[in-house]
Amino acid sequence: MRKLIQFKNIVKEFDGQLVLKGINLDIYENEFVTLLGPSGCGKTTLLRILGGFLEPTQGTVIFDNADITKLPPYKRDLNTVFQKYALFPHMNVFDNVAFGLKIKKEPKDIIEQKVNRMLKLVGLEEYSKRGVAEMSGGQQQRVAIARALVNEPGVLLLDEPLGALDLKLRKEMQHELKKIQQEVGITFIYVTHDQEEALTMSDKIVVMKEGEIQQIGTPTDIYNEPINEYVARFIGESNIVEGIMVADNKVMFEDKVFECVDKGFSENERVDIVIRPEDLDIVGPRSGKLKGVVKSVLFKGVHYETIVETTSGTSITVKMYVSNDKPVINNDAGEMMSANDFYIDVADIEDLNDAVIVDRADAQAWDSESEERISISKIEYEVAPVNGTYPVTFKTSSGTEVTVNMIVSDINRVVNEDYQEEIYAVKFHKKVDEIQESIVLDTDLKTWANATAWDLEDGTSVEITDVEYNFDPATIVPGVYNVTFKTKGYQYMIDTTDKAEIGSVVGLSFTPQDLHIMSKI
Amino acid sequence: MKQFRKMTYPYIIWITIMIVVPMLLIVLYAFTRKGNEVTTFLFTLENFKKFFSDTIFLEVLWRSLRVAIETTIVCILIGYPAAYYISKSQEEVKMRWVLLITIPTWINMLVRTYAWIGILQDDGIINSLLGLAGIGPVTMLHTDFAVVLGMVYNFIPFMILQIYTSLTKMDHSLIEAASDLGANKFESFLRVTLPLSLPGIISGITLVFLPAVSSFFIPKLLGGGQYVLIGTVIESQFLTSGDWNFGSAISLIMAVIIMLSMYLTRKVDRGEQSETGVL
Amino acid sequence: MKMKLHRKIFMIALIVFFYAPILYIIIFSFNDSRSLTTLSGFSLQWYEKMFKDDTMMESVFYTIAIAVLATVISTVIGTITAIGLSKSRKLIKNLVEQVNELPIMNPEIVTAIGLLMFFSALHMKKGFLTLLAAHIMFCVPYVILSINPKLRSLNPNLADAAMDLGATPWQAMIKVIVPQIMPGIISGALIAFTMSFDDFIISYFVTGNGVSNISITVYTMSKRVNPSINALSTLIIIILTIVLLLANVIPALVDKRKNKILKNKEMYE
Repeated sequence: MRKLIQFKNIVKEFDGQLVLKGINLDIYENEFVTLLGPSGCGKTTLLRILGGFLEPTQGTVIFDNADITKLPPYKRDLNTVFQKYALFPHMNVFDNVAFGLKIKKEPKDIIEQKVNRMLKLVGLEEYSKRGVAEMSGGQQQRVAIARALVNEPGVLLLDEPLGALDLKLRKEMQHELKKIQQEVGITFIYVTHDQEEALTMSDKIVVMKEGEIQQIGTPTDIYNEPINEYVARFIGESNIVEGIMVADNKVMFEDKVFECVDKGFSENERVDIVIRPEDLDIVGPRSGKLKGVVKSVLFKGVHYETIVETTSGTSITVKMYVSNDKPVINNDAGEMMSANDFYIDVADIEDLNDAVIVDRADAQAWDSESEERISISKIEYEVAPVNGTYPVTFKTSSGTEVTVNMIVSDINRVVNEDYQEEIYAVKFHKKVDEIQESIVLDTDLKTWANATAWDLEDGTSVEITDVEYNFDPATIVPGVYNVTFKTKGYQYMIDTTDKAEIGSVVGLSFTPQDLHIMSKI
Repeated sequence: MKQFRKMTYPYIIWITIMIVVPMLLIVLYAFTRKGNEVTTFLFTLENFKKFFSDTIFLEVLWRSLRVAIETTIVCILIGYPAAYYISKSQEEVKMRWVLLITIPTWINMLVRTYAWIGILQDDGIINSLLGLAGIGPVTMLHTDFAVVLGMVYNFIPFMILQIYTSLTKMDHSLIEAASDLGANKFESFLRVTLPLSLPGIISGITLVFLPAVSSFFIPKLLGGGQYVLIGTVIESQFLTSGDWNFGSAISLIMAVIIMLSMYLTRKVDRGEQSETGVL
Repeated sequence: MKMKLHRKIFMIALIVFFYAPILYIIIFSFNDSRSLTTLSGFSLQWYEKMFKDDTMMESVFYTIAIAVLATVISTVIGTITAIGLSKSRKLIKNLVEQVNELPIMNPEIVTAIGLLMFFSALHMKKGFLTLLAAHIMFCVPYVILSINPKLRSLNPNLADAAMDLGATPWQAMIKVIVPQIMPGIISGALIAFTMSFDDFIISYFVTGNGVSNISITVYTMSKRVNPSINALSTLIIIILTIVLLLANVIPALVDKRKNKILKNKEMYE
């Protein structure tokens, strides 16, 4: 195969921002090449440089052994299918396709022949007199392809051409595009952020990130041997775990050493291990290499997507005191009022204000007749940042009042060294009817316990994914209950045809070939 | 895209010569002494001193501002209900109303103002009608009333159209939401419609106040030869007394006052917005 | 929703306010006497006088000539510039658009004296050319402003697509962009025409040597009672009404034609 296009050290800067950081890439004749990456990775910029719509800040573009870096688009032997097609709305299908030929002043009969042949190729010969606005998305797509191909370019550039189509049409067009490429036998350069599209159609995939090429290879290469975590995550779904290469063919993760087929890493090098979901199997809890609990099962048509958690996340258990207390009744004013004792962390005393106290004590007052809420006009309390119990009194303007205890303590945190996470929650008091009336109990429990978790490294908050308790909210009676809050642990995604039971303990099995070891980025 | 960018170069040169340079000339003249040769300019603040130390000029400035503010207020008071009613009418009727209000603006302002001379005269049509009712004749021509009337007549279409646009742009479901939340008609007008149409009022004010404060042919035609506003002063500096430096200084003062008032109105607008934003 | 009575009265009063002066002019242009207040009979003498009055006729000619030239030139410049700006860097675009708004935002009299001093500084003879240049200056911004929204709603790749298919930038503009923004160009041209046709303040300051437009003539003549002004004004109203009718009717007619052709086609197909 002949080298058709060469990008040599292409750098592009927009307003002082580097969008492309020195791209070197060769493209051969008759190849279907896909530039793959998330939006903002520079793939469209690279395509527009090749199309002639942008000039690189540095570097050269060689096309057919000639330097075309500074050649305007209308002098280049390549054509583009644009994002959202860019069809000329004031022309019909025929005139859109004939545009390029008319510009080249080809004879009328030749134009007609070529256009009709092209419309036949894309299956639109019936529609030549239609206005483009009346065409469906898929048809417009075909017009755009015909309009570009009729000029017999050496290369066809496609900029996210299927982005605007719905899923079903997109799949159809993927096959169609591949068919057209094979039929006309020219190079297609295809830009997309959809990894599935890239895997289906390409001869060669170029994975890009932040203006740099990460990996170039065939779809199988890239899927099976991703060069780093970024590529692995981008191409297909995968489980990526951190581990250590203890020796050649030996990798350790989750405190166990496993056989693998990779070597050449330095001793005790920290690595990422990719395990594709379809490479994992669910087996009995004793026969697997890893053991975990099934967290969720989603039916995906051909297979079940199962999530198994092998190690749980950071967790904290707090006590919930459930009472049968009734609200205070003030018959003179016709008002009722309720509030409960509450716990608070020493560190939070500094930021304490009335709103927080009302919130934590769940203090409410209402008219006993109409049940309409009444404002709490006064809150009396004294507190010091020392462990202890402090009374708090809430009053309405008509004199109804309730006194509860604010309990200050400092033992409500759990730190998880492995995950570098900290979780926090406090004991709390609740009434039976409040629990029974809650419509979002998990969320309410988090609020009542003031449960929060955060990353110890950067302080960002971490989601609490699990709330566990052993009572039935519908039939709860006064007493003391444990409530546990947990963050996400080590989870594996497994694609299998067998359905696992949620909550059951299972084993995970894999072979040494299923582990792909990658250097850290 | 270089090829397309080049297309703007001629115009960039053109506006530099025809817009930027003349503006700079006004500033240059305002801060220099008499003498029409570009090479013989001398820096001075004399022109500004002359303006601010002479009560006649300050009175003129005050009268111009007063007339412009009166005009703007009348335009809002008449323009808002008009715009509101139009926005409430049926779709086809709406377009007809908008057309009816736009058409006069296409006709020469001078011609339309000229017509009022005949109408407002002591023996004109209004006084004849008043005479039938046993009133009058009332002298209207060459009074403040005539000048404000002329300005309202010329500028009110802009106010109506601006407010109308902001009212039609408004999402009708907001009013439904307000009434759904328990607001009666008047409350939902006061708390939703009015604050949301404020931007329209503001741009309407810009379009009325600005030409009103600088106008010079309306006071000349309807106010008579003795009726002096800031615009007429500038005109006479340039076309009769020939003191371009002083004329430039007055223009500059006027431009600054206009910019300041625009800035203040916009600021009020923003303040209101952030207050109502809580709603 | 039907209009309530008080609303109806209010709106009718408003329309009377708007149109009474215009009607007044038209009626008194046919008046028999010099009076601007009492009608004494029908006559066409003021029209006769107007047509015989060289100053008036010349000013009509200059007004139309300037308006047509300024419209054509500023529409072409405005279209090219607006398209160029849509592809320009933000910085340049913002800068040009801001300078562009100066003549719109500035009091006309300020623009006028600026131009007056500018032309004098260059020792340019005030007359037709200075008048035309000034009119082009204040017309282009309106053209650009009315084209800009159309350009913004355009697929940004259209010009690229045309060039990709071999069109030069110029061809891409004429064959692809201009047809797309035609409504904006037409309304821009219409605004430019009426702005130029009606302009008084700027024209008043930058013209001289016997060249004057209708507004200036009306202004200078209005110092004495002269019913020919009514005749001239009526003439202007008629000209503008025709222009407006054409501007509103022609596109509608074209649309109708198009629809008809399309429908016929569909029937045959």
